[in-house]
Amino acid sequence: MTTLAQAGYPDAMSHLTLAHYVAVSAIMFAIGLIGFMTRRNLIIMFLCTELMFQAAGIALVAFGRYHLDFSGQTFVIFVLTVAAAEAAMALALVVLLFRRRDSLSAEEWRDLEG
Amino acid sequence: MVVVGADTADRIKPAHGGPAGGWVEPPPAPIYPVALPGRDGTGHLRRGARAAPGTDGNGPGSGLNQIINPTVFFVLLVLGAAGVCLALPRRGRTPQIVGGLVAGLAAGLLMLALGLKAGREHLPNVYFYIFSLVGLAAALRVITHPRPVYAALYFILTVIASAGLFLLLSAEFMAFALIIVYAGAILITYLFVIMLATQAPEEGQEEVLAEYDTQAREPIAATMAGFLVLAALTAMAFRGLPNVPAPAVANPDAMLASVPRKVDRVLRNHGLLESGQSADLSRVAEGVVVLPGGKELPRPEWPEQLRMTNGELLGFNLLRDHPGTIEIAGVILLMAMLGAVVLSRKQVQLDEEAKSRRVTQLAEADAAGDPAVDSPLGLTQQPAHTGGGGV
Repeated sequence: MTTLAQAGYPDAMSHLTLAHYVAVSAIMFAIGLIGFMTRRNLIIMFLCTELMFQAAGIALVAFGRYHLDFSGQTFVIFVLTVAAAEAAMALALVVLLFRRRDSLSAEEWRDLEG
Repeated sequence: MVVVGADTADRIKPAHGGPAGGWVEPPPAPIYPVALPGRDGTGHLRRGARAAPGTDGNGPGSGLNQIINPTVFFVLLVLGAAGVCLALPRRGRTPQIVGGLVAGLAAGLLMLALGLKAGREHLPNVYFYIFSLVGLAAALRVITHPRPVYAALYFILTVIASAGLFLLLSAEFMAFALIIVYAGAILITYLFVIMLATQAPEEGQEEVLAEYDTQAREPIAATMAGFLVLAALTAMAFRGLPNVPAPAVANPDAMLASVPRKVDRVLRNHGLLESGQSADLSRVAEGVVVLPGGKELPRPEWPEQLRMTNGELLGFNLLRDHPGTIEIAGVILLMAMLGAVVLSRKQVQLDEEAKSRRVTQLAEADAAGDPAVDSPLGLTQQPAHTGGGGV
């Protein structure tokens, strides 16, 4: 009887190995979150959201690999799509805001109240 | 021990007998035995394999205890928080390097503690440690570097390291897509905008970093909040991980029935099939390909190339299991494109406030006797400078 690994497919992974990937993903997410809260440059703030997307992607692929299911990787494609859309919109907005105030600081816009 | 997830097997519906064939339920044949130590077929840990003595099976934290020692875990999180907090940019000279080293030490010790619990046979590949270390260090640099261009470049390094992690997780297509889409397209857009929105230093002047780049906002509170979220996330995930059902092992060979032309090509290349003939794939899920003469080719005798690749399996998952979502992705991208075009066509004027600030700056530079502004050339340039508020 052939096993998955002998047939050339990725073999099942232990949940203890999965924990390593989950830890890396969670740490990267936290770094992105801290960056989003502490940095005052609009562009860097958006870069930090991309960092959080990246962390989510690692967790999705790792869980997909654990379950030997490809839906995890399919969802990373959608994460990429959303990231690309967000980058296009956010950067267009940032350019607009920069033209108006001549500064990238988020605090220039503190008078915007919801 | 044989684990075959009936639900996964049901989801794989191979088109049988070529493109004209209908959907046929594959027989739930146990082809691939997967042995995970300490687990029984239902995915729950065997009684004897419950890790640490003194923890009852259902008590709080029992799952966490199987993954990592809770005390060590929380102490390392506090250490990491202190490191990140020190590494954030602040006014004056700050011990950024020390902070980075402390955070790196905490991450390394966390990996060590995870590895000690996992034991030798569950340790990830050695490249995992390299890629995750590079990725996390670059991520820390993204949020601590005062210059936006360098932050973006470090983010590219993070993307490349995550692509390496994807490769280790045998997600080859996603690894390369990540590099092409993220590092190749998205980050280049970021770099363009950063360069557009940063003023070049005037001739003869030292480049001055903007205040909002060199000073973090509320570093201590933000780090505490971030690490609280991290502690909650990881503690919850680790507590649940031992109870996640064992992988329902799909049978990727069953999908070969959906790609009959590839099977024929591979068999033909290995001289197992004459040209013009095609193999019978009705029993491919059981690991048997029936050649035209009625000869059965069992799994161990298949050529090495006769298997589904990562790209093929991902493609079937994307277009067969999630056909609607790709349309939604297309709509999202279209909307983003239209939005970006509309936004960037809008003409905006510099605010009065920003205009007056710029005039004051130039006047100050003039009063200070800056040689670049003092020269006749500088004076003639001045009106053009104050007038143009665009990027």
